[in-house]
Amino acid sequence: MKKMRWLAMLLAIVMVAAACGSDDDTGTADGGTDESTDESTDEGTDEGTDEGTDEGTDEGTDEGTDEVDVVQGGDLTFHMITHSDDGPFWTVVQNGAEAAAEAMGINLVWLASNNMPDVQAQLIDQAISEGSDGIASSLPSPDQLIPGLKAAADGGIPVYTLNSGVNDYESIGATTHVGQTEFIAGQGAGKRFNDLGATSILCGRQEESNVALEERCDGLADTFEGDVLSEFMGLDQDAAAQEANINATLAANPDIDGFMGAGPVIGLSGLRASEALGRDLTIAAFDITPEIIDAIDAGTIQFTVDQQQYLQGYLPIVLMFLEATNKNTAGGGLPILTGPGFVDSNNVSAVASLVEQSTR
Amino acid sequence: MRGVAVQATPRSLKQGSERSPEGITQLGGIHVTDVVTADAAEAESATGDDERLSFQGVFQKLFIRPEIGAVLGATAIWTFFWAVSIPFGTAGGASNILDVSATLGIMAVAVAMLMIGGEFDLSSGAATGALGIVTLLLVRDVTGTAGGLGLHLLIALPLSFIVALALGWLNGTMVERTGLPSFIVTLATFFVLRGMKLGFAKLIVDQIQVGKMDDLKGENKGYEFFQKVFAYEWQRNDHQWALRDALYTGLVIVGLSLVVIAVYELHFKRKAQHNPIGMIMFVAGAALGVASVAILHLTDDTAGNWFGAIVGLAAMLIGFLGLGVWRYEMRGDRGTLKMPSDAVRSVGIGIVLIVLGVISAIVLDSDSNEQVLPLTTEQGLRAILFVGLSALGFVSLMVGVHQAGRVSRMSASAFTVGTAVIGLLMAFFVQSESESEKFRNEAFSIILVVSALALTWAIANYFFQNRGSSDIHIEHLGTRIAIAGLLIFLIGMLIRLLFTVDAEIEAGIAPAKYSVRILWFVAFTIACSWVLASTKFGSWVFAVGGNKQASRQVGVPAARTKTQLFMLVSVAAWLVGTLLAFRINTLQANTGNGLEFEYIIAAVVGGTMLTGGYGSTIGASIGAVIMAMSVLGIPNSNWNSDWRFVFLGAILLLAVIGNNFIKTKAENLR
Repeated sequence: MKKMRWLAMLLAIVMVAAACGSDDDTGTADGGTDESTDESTDEGTDEGTDEGTDEGTDEGTDEGTDEVDVVQGGDLTFHMITHSDDGPFWTVVQNGAEAAAEAMGINLVWLASNNMPDVQAQLIDQAISEGSDGIASSLPSPDQLIPGLKAAADGGIPVYTLNSGVNDYESIGATTHVGQTEFIAGQGAGKRFNDLGATSILCGRQEESNVALEERCDGLADTFEGDVLSEFMGLDQDAAAQEANINATLAANPDIDGFMGAGPVIGLSGLRASEALGRDLTIAAFDITPEIIDAIDAGTIQFTVDQQQYLQGYLPIVLMFLEATNKNTAGGGLPILTGPGFVDSNNVSAVASLVEQSTR
Repeated sequence: MRGVAVQATPRSLKQGSERSPEGITQLGGIHVTDVVTADAAEAESATGDDERLSFQGVFQKLFIRPEIGAVLGATAIWTFFWAVSIPFGTAGGASNILDVSATLGIMAVAVAMLMIGGEFDLSSGAATGALGIVTLLLVRDVTGTAGGLGLHLLIALPLSFIVALALGWLNGTMVERTGLPSFIVTLATFFVLRGMKLGFAKLIVDQIQVGKMDDLKGENKGYEFFQKVFAYEWQRNDHQWALRDALYTGLVIVGLSLVVIAVYELHFKRKAQHNPIGMIMFVAGAALGVASVAILHLTDDTAGNWFGAIVGLAAMLIGFLGLGVWRYEMRGDRGTLKMPSDAVRSVGIGIVLIVLGVISAIVLDSDSNEQVLPLTTEQGLRAILFVGLSALGFVSLMVGVHQAGRVSRMSASAFTVGTAVIGLLMAFFVQSESESEKFRNEAFSIILVVSALALTWAIANYFFQNRGSSDIHIEHLGTRIAIAGLLIFLIGMLIRLLFTVDAEIEAGIAPAKYSVRILWFVAFTIACSWVLASTKFGSWVFAVGGNKQASRQVGVPAARTKTQLFMLVSVAAWLVGTLLAFRINTLQANTGNGLEFEYIIAAVVGGTMLTGGYGSTIGASIGAVIMAMSVLGIPNSNWNSDWRFVFLGAILLLAVIGNNFIKTKAENLR
């Protein structure tokens, strides 16, 4: 049932978008190409659009703006537009957004571009055209996405960025960013390692030249009081070689007593390497997988750094709701961090059941 | 090849009648056994030129093997990292290298066979993960969701094996039916597999990883048994053996001696009448050898080592020269001592390089860990300069020996003696100057033994006459002795690797564990090498890779052979996938993606040609070891991992250039 409703809604959006594009193209007249495409859509969608716009404007924007104080936001429509690939990570984000939408009693349109920036830019334009009451978007590729989001913010639509975009949210005029920076996550892990009594850590990366992973290790080095050796330790695709690489590095550095994997697979490789060498290391990883949960439960891995991406879905909806209904702007110009959250032996059993529900 | 055999017949006849009455009966033998190894040299002989042109000496034969470049490369890389890194040369380092080599090597061997057959399989990397995931999905059992079938492993493993066969058959059939390059067809299969891994994983278990093989523990699905078959681990530190050192030293020495005896047997001309004095000398040498080992073992201090080494040197000289006096014909014409200018130049360069190496070892600080270059520390630089320069120096000396050998026997022997003496000096320099235990013990012994062998060889080569013609009896005997010697040597090394002694445990040696996957690797390599060398199918593989059309015309079932090769590769992928599944329990959907190029690289480094028709499975397995050593030597030496692909690239280039160089040289030798 839910899916059917969405489908209908999506259909409506497409129609509305087409209609708006043809009717008032004054807003974004960039050049010759725009006009020509507009003409072509004109002809194709003339018949269907009238009804579409009627519905869209009647129910959505008009009443929404007029009766803000009266209704509990029931007629607000928020768009969450991400580069989601429908993997387990984004499923959790989506669950968070849906839960918030239900709690606030608003309409949520979840749009996923599956890592295609062009598609995501298009989806943003459509949301604007439809007259969205709030847009929350991830910003994995700023160049393609900033123009659309800027236009939305300039047009008075509340804009929030989530997950990625911490460097650009201000420049596009977004109210705030909801996410985690890798550097801060690394810093949090460094403090944990201090508490656990480690003196020298190997920070293993599973990809070379991946900025996010480097930042995790840099953050760790920033707060950790001992030495940090940050090295590329082989790809996740070849987990056995990864283990051997870690083994080789540990063997060459007898004083290392801690290992942090910049991902879940490499964390487990580090665990196996330490077991093979008979070294008692303090081990941590990034992100949550069932194996990591098991290892923390067994006490072989001490903790894992969690982005708490459920919040990245939930919080933007709440914030947009408050901005739309109460004109609140949270964050004070600074990003709102969802992490790092930590899963360790204290909360692992509770988190494990939440993982099964896809909320962690 | 058949053509060659026919051409060779007149020569075989002539040779047979010249040699002995047995020659005639051997004729049949030459037909049957030599057809496989018959090569251009024999064809040449049919033209009626000097018969000795057809004879291949023992070294010539060795150098035309496709894997010789890989063997030399592996030795060089091992020596290099052994010198610059502390853990690399230990049992722990070896176990780590072999562990990585195993899965890479199984695939490289299969891929090498396919490449010899003239095809590529770009889906082989993705297939390892895919087939492992198939097994996992078949055995997994999660109640409530569609989480796998929960089959017994005894059923699941054959089922996934059938899937593997089907995958290989599909690849092969598509390549054959469409006539398209296998590069394109298997690239398509690669993408399909890659998508299916992710798609099915998410569809069935709703995750991008499939796993927890170890959840089967205690579920009576055969996990305990198959875990032992695919992932048993031998913990070296749990296996102490007081006799280890005596046993392994003895076996290594006996093995090496047998190899040397085999080389003598293959190289020198047998005498009609044996000389008993020689036999006595040989026995005396052997006894002295035992005495030297005893001295080396009973004394620990430096002086004792010197003494033991000198006794060992004497033992070698007496024993091997005795062997010569006992069994081989004396040489008549030994030539005169000449000093060809090119040889003198090579020797000069060699000596300069060695002196430079020695100087850098003396000048640079041996325990400074200060970074001097982005890659290495001062300590590492010292080892690199010393080992690198002196190795280059010895190569130059050997080039000099080779150049002198072109002029006269006498010169060759004189130059070899000179080189051996420099080697001996080097050994004692290392022994007295080095502060590192491994240099003082291991490097010292190895340089000493090699120099001593060169010395005796130079003397023996001066006195005794070499064989000028081939003799199947001698060759069989020599080859068997050599293989026995190598096996004994390897068993000795194996004992060294598998067991530990109390002293090592007390010194706090790092644990090493050997996974049963190494055995799978060795067994798979031996099986494939046997198939390639000794079966009809093996000949077909070379034939279809060399020239498919021609092979088809002489009756080789080309399409079937190629399809079977594709099936071999996917069976190897199944084996690797299973090994992985039992090792890491959970496979990510991207497991193995992109590794197909590593397999191809390992095969090429091992001497397999990209164009098909030429190559070696043994070489491919050594190529895998080279790759593993290059990858693991860097973290073992504490080098910055950012640079590791620079190093990997350099090694690859050197390996292939070296291979090509040796092959061209070997072909010129013919």
